[in-house]
Amino acid sequence: MLSDVISKDKEKAFLFCNEAIVRGALESDVKVVAFYPGSPISEILDTFYQISDKFDIKMEIATNEKVALEIVAGASMGGQRSLIAMKSVGLNVASDTFFSLGYTGVNKGCVLVFADDPFCHSSQSEEDGRFFADNSYIPMLEPTDPVEAKFMTKAAFDISEKYQTLVLVRTTTRINHQSTIVPLEPLNRTDFEPRSFRETNRKYATVGSKARELKLKMLERRERIREDFEKSEFNKIIEGTEKMGIIVSGVSYNYVLEVCKKLKIDPPILKLGTTYPLPENLISQFIKNLEGIIIVEELSPYLEIKLKALAKDQKPNLKIYGKESGHFSEAFEYNIPIVFNVFKELYEINTSIEYETSVTKANKVKSILPVRIPVFCPGCPHRATFWALQKAIAGKSKQIAFINDIGCYSMLLLNQEIYPKLHADDLLLAMGATLGTGSGISLGVKEKVISIIGDSTFFHAGLPGMINIWHHNEDVVVIILDNSVTAMTGQQTNPGTGNGSAEDPKNKIQIEDVLKGIGFKNIVINECFDAINCVPSFKKALEEPGPTVIISRGPCALWNDRRKRKRGEKIQPFYVDQDLCRKCHTCMRDFYCPAISMESREKEFTDDNGKIWRGFSSHISPELCDGCGVCSIICPYTNHDERSEKDVIKFYEKKREVRHDL
Amino acid sequence: MTYNLMTCGVGGQGLMLVSNIIGIACAEFGLGIRTAETHGLAQRSGSIYTHIRIGENVYSPLIPYGEANALLGMEAIETLRYIEFLKPNGTIIMNNYIWQPVQSTFDRVKNTKESYLSIDTILTQLEKVTDKVHLVNALDVANQAGNPLTSNLVLLGALTKTKEFPIKLSQLQEIVPKVVPKKAIEANLKALLLGYKT
Repeated sequence: MLSDVISKDKEKAFLFCNEAIVRGALESDVKVVAFYPGSPISEILDTFYQISDKFDIKMEIATNEKVALEIVAGASMGGQRSLIAMKSVGLNVASDTFFSLGYTGVNKGCVLVFADDPFCHSSQSEEDGRFFADNSYIPMLEPTDPVEAKFMTKAAFDISEKYQTLVLVRTTTRINHQSTIVPLEPLNRTDFEPRSFRETNRKYATVGSKARELKLKMLERRERIREDFEKSEFNKIIEGTEKMGIIVSGVSYNYVLEVCKKLKIDPPILKLGTTYPLPENLISQFIKNLEGIIIVEELSPYLEIKLKALAKDQKPNLKIYGKESGHFSEAFEYNIPIVFNVFKELYEINTSIEYETSVTKANKVKSILPVRIPVFCPGCPHRATFWALQKAIAGKSKQIAFINDIGCYSMLLLNQEIYPKLHADDLLLAMGATLGTGSGISLGVKEKVISIIGDSTFFHAGLPGMINIWHHNEDVVVIILDNSVTAMTGQQTNPGTGNGSAEDPKNKIQIEDVLKGIGFKNIVINECFDAINCVPSFKKALEEPGPTVIISRGPCALWNDRRKRKRGEKIQPFYVDQDLCRKCHTCMRDFYCPAISMESREKEFTDDNGKIWRGFSSHISPELCDGCGVCSIICPYTNHDERSEKDVIKFYEKKREVRHDL
Repeated sequence: MTYNLMTCGVGGQGLMLVSNIIGIACAEFGLGIRTAETHGLAQRSGSIYTHIRIGENVYSPLIPYGEANALLGMEAIETLRYIEFLKPNGTIIMNNYIWQPVQSTFDRVKNTKESYLSIDTILTQLEKVTDKVHLVNALDVANQAGNPLTSNLVLLGALTKTKEFPIKLSQLQEIVPKVVPKKAIEANLKALLLGYKT
């Protein structure tokens, strides 16, 4: 709970891991934080967003992870403790600056929390970011749970200052999205004092001969840190009686402990918390009297490869079981059953526990279940945009090459059945990649290229691609889905959000101004909820030579609902007049709003011409409807220009409180 | 002993509040707890769950298959979806509410399915696994409590009445006012109590 994150008197609190990390940073007297949101670290940003003014912390939601990293590095070089958090793929974006920071180092404590996402819960790739540490010579800590995440965040500030280097805290989704009781220590905050950059008396420049000099220093630094890590409390040996030991890091440590209890085995366990540089002496000591080692780590065989290299000299006959032996997978997350089955086999234990039986039994009763894939929310502007786009390309879908990107609209890929004309699962790579790949495809194919990109992604990684499109006059239609916020990650603000108010005095950047500045001539701005009137502009864009930009504008429903509630506005749902509905299913077939479903009983309607319409009417759930009204626009039997009693889809007359957080 | 509770539903139904109340109660009354939650992509009208594990020396944040003492379902389809986590003959507290996924409407529009899945069908399936299924008309009770948004507290109240659940009603009543917004305290407390009495 937020009040616990900032509590001055509690000794412990039930905290979400991302809150625990914020608490750790607060206890470390952090002064500057910067982020670009991304699951699973978004709540670190969100928590700071709510408390930064209470603590005199300077906070920026930056345009992307690279800029954010430069902000915290600069702040540290300028003498302020700073922290940044990003998701795994964010570190790819920031990596150019990141590698240089390995060379130059920093000044005041500077911590980078990065979260890998095994199972790709909300990422486009399942990467193992630990190799970034290995490659950059930047030290790395790996917590096993929220408690350790807090303590490691604090330790990372100290290590950073002691060795004048950036320090990584590496988590995974299952760590970030975990809650437990976390001990709280005093906040001991100091006042924010501007320092002098000159006084820091350091040079943070690397190139050529200077870089060669720094590289040698960096190698020395690594060995000094390694010596410290040999004694670190984050590495722990649990003595045991088995001849085969376990080496483990991260969330898997919890699975190992619980599985050992279940199987009633007592193996020696080395839990590693400082995973770069590795405490090699500690590991050598641990393996000395053992016959075998099982390595338990999610994703790549990072520890396994290093252990093998070490064992080759120290203990060549050591049997090593892990991914390369085929016992564990390099794919996806682990859990108790996965670790249980490997241990059961390797320790040769007979047990009555059969996890597969639970799953097999469950699958039998579950076979009737429909899938529930994530879809656009009720009132989402994207649903309106893609309704219009599907109309515009009706009959021409074979002449279109549709390029997807990262944002809420990525979900089109999961919703193929609903949007069959778009083929939105053809291509989706990375933030902003829709523009470069769209350009490349336009060079080589006959189809007309449509590249879609959101407003936040446009600011994040879209600008170089857009400039390239105009510079090279590419035949591409770019659709910019401008919903005012970074919606997918929790509706954080972006450069296009700011409204200039006292509350939010940041300069707002208008996307069309940027495009005009670049030189784009064909810029169309659509109010996307006026869906029918958006169709012609899409049609025209597909017929004329590119580059063409269509900005499809409409606020994110979740964000806008919160603003409405703040202003005391009610959200007016629509309803289907059951007596008039022709049962044509247009609102369901073409629109697929989660608030619209089909009635269970058949009904009949006779129109003025005596025609009988029989079937199942549509139904709008008032607790889900957001009142965007687009279904009433696309209903062939509702006159959206002049509302009347004869309309099928109408406003609810009686005003009432409805549920809006669904 | 570890008490394992799996909660599930559709994004936005208030599962996070339930796990927060339980977690804060544990912190306050000296119980150990570890939870794992769904955030991000799955919240967009998608299927969501929380693993809640109460007790000393709980290690894994995830409940192993077949070891949940109880399953608290805010929505019928999603309750059945997580059935592999329930221990043999474990308790199910299920909201008498079904939210048809868009995919099911899609099937009906395309005529590949004639009707939606009903709560009765789901009950039949659940009863193949356990005879301890408690169906709660949470929305009706929540309305009685004065706020339709308190269905989650109604179900938590019903769960509190089960023997195994390690937190007492009086303890939850102490925590709720600290967690929910001021103007919603009364309705939430009432929902919790009415849920307990169902």
